[in-house]
Amino acid sequence: METEKIIGLFKTVTSDAVIEIALVIAVSVAIIWLSQKLFPWLAEHLHGKQRLFVLAMIPTLRVVVFVLATIWIVPMVIETTVQNMIAILGAAGLAIGFAMKDYASSLIAGIVAVYELPYRPGDWIEVDGTYGEVKHIGMRAVELVTPDDTVVFVPHLKLWTGLIHNANNGGPSLMCVTSFYLTADHDAHQVKQLLEDVALTSPYVQLKQPITVVISEQPWGTHYRLKAYPIDPRQQFQFMTDLTARGKARLRAIEVKFANLSPEHAVPVNP
Amino acid sequence: MSSDNHWRVIRLAEFERPDAPASTRVQQLFQHIRNLFPQSDEAADDEEQADFPGYREFDLKAGADALEDALGEWRAEGDAGIKFLISPPFSGTAAIAREWAQRHHWNKLTAPAEAQLSGVDIDAWWQDQATEQWLIDDLANYWQRRTDGMAFVRTLLPKLMRGELGQGLVICDSWSFAFLQRAWPVHLPNVYCFAAANEALLRQVGIQADEKKLKALAARALGNVGLALALWAVEQNDDHDLPSMPPDCGDETAFVLYSLLLHRSLSGAALQRLLPTIAAAQLDVQLLQLQQARLISYNEEQWQVTVYGYLAVRDFLKSRGFYVDAF
Repeated sequence: METEKIIGLFKTVTSDAVIEIALVIAVSVAIIWLSQKLFPWLAEHLHGKQRLFVLAMIPTLRVVVFVLATIWIVPMVIETTVQNMIAILGAAGLAIGFAMKDYASSLIAGIVAVYELPYRPGDWIEVDGTYGEVKHIGMRAVELVTPDDTVVFVPHLKLWTGLIHNANNGGPSLMCVTSFYLTADHDAHQVKQLLEDVALTSPYVQLKQPITVVISEQPWGTHYRLKAYPIDPRQQFQFMTDLTARGKARLRAIEVKFANLSPEHAVPVNP
Repeated sequence: MSSDNHWRVIRLAEFERPDAPASTRVQQLFQHIRNLFPQSDEAADDEEQADFPGYREFDLKAGADALEDALGEWRAEGDAGIKFLISPPFSGTAAIAREWAQRHHWNKLTAPAEAQLSGVDIDAWWQDQATEQWLIDDLANYWQRRTDGMAFVRTLLPKLMRGELGQGLVICDSWSFAFLQRAWPVHLPNVYCFAAANEALLRQVGIQADEKKLKALAARALGNVGLALALWAVEQNDDHDLPSMPPDCGDETAFVLYSLLLHRSLSGAALQRLLPTIAAAQLDVQLLQLQQARLISYNEEQWQVTVYGYLAVRDFLKSRGFYVDAF
């Protein structure tokens, strides 16, 4: 009796329907596969907003194709009455709840991520202390590549409870903070002006964005934080290297002394 | 001003590029896509392609007349102070201003030596050439994009604006002006430029074609007379195409091109000082690659962007998010 009920949920699937389902799945997979090859290739030739827009299309397109394929296939297999749908969703929910809770939660978070946009391909994010560029947003996990070229897979599940730090939030503006540590006895205004010029004359700097210097006095000396934006977020490390190298050269020329702490006196400073 | 003279001096804020017809927009889009996906076989390896046709230089007198119409009253009054005339690359604005200054016996000031740029000793530079009325024909030579290369211009500009050095006309390249406004964020009054070239002006400088073609040419050239003449020369010669960006252009290529546009032209050594982040050998590779692509040229020990490559270079820098000029 139970078996008959379960069988009653499904339609009789003809060979034509099987071919159609196979075709829909094949075309969907092909579109998703193509989008994952074509869009990153196209994005490599673009810069700034255009590049980020093209990259952001990849997960969106995948969800759209997935939903359309599901809407197409399900009525071909299942008698779509309210009663049947409740029965199937209930059974599926039970199975997922016991066996695949985390996996299903990641999948749903992946869909949420597509419209809530906590991260997009091309964004620079930090999750649980891991910082890197979002290279790929999969169904279950997001793929980060760290500055040291290590790939880190972060399940979308983190979206529910973890803190996601997004440095550029879908745009090309990413602030870089470069620190300089000097002994306390010097002309702070002169150093501030000099550091602003160091940023202004960097070939990497985005001139449309502001350049600021924040000074704070510490027990060991003076901490300067030079804040500026590179033209492209991918240049952030070369930009900070350029600022540090040229900043040091200029500071040496005006003969200010760099703070030089022994390890036992070093205090951690938040970047 | 004679009704046959179509040169017009306007305030910079009033500048508007000529409207591009649909066909020109499609052409510009095609050129943009071509720049995004450069082909390796597009590099100039053909001797015939290496030399572009020369283009006829235009008569400067009409431009100088228009300048006199705009500035004549101010010049005659002799009030101390300055006016800026912004010059897009290859527009011939500086040459017109020199013609105008010569006509009225204004002296052309000599730019400070490179060693003076890091100092603020304006008097030492000024004493040898002090005069009542003068012309600075290229402000780009008065500063360099180095941490110690902007002190001179930052001290000079307030003195000029206060009228301490008499009456003068300052010609500033449009790229240089865009950067200086960022480096020295003061609202500058009295900033002028020539109005964008239209069909009538192109005809006046000697380009003979029907109205539709001239309109499209003015739009393609961004209203720049010098560019329009160069584009027209290429259009008349079937053997030549405009250069496009070579493959493998990266950040370093962009830095070199942007620096050259900021300073109009630079020696290899000066470029190296501006871009210490690029190794000398790598800089040479970049310069040679760009020269082979006919985007830059080397004359009298100075590198500069070619008039034929300017549109491709501008499009390349703009698409990469660089701070481009207002023209």
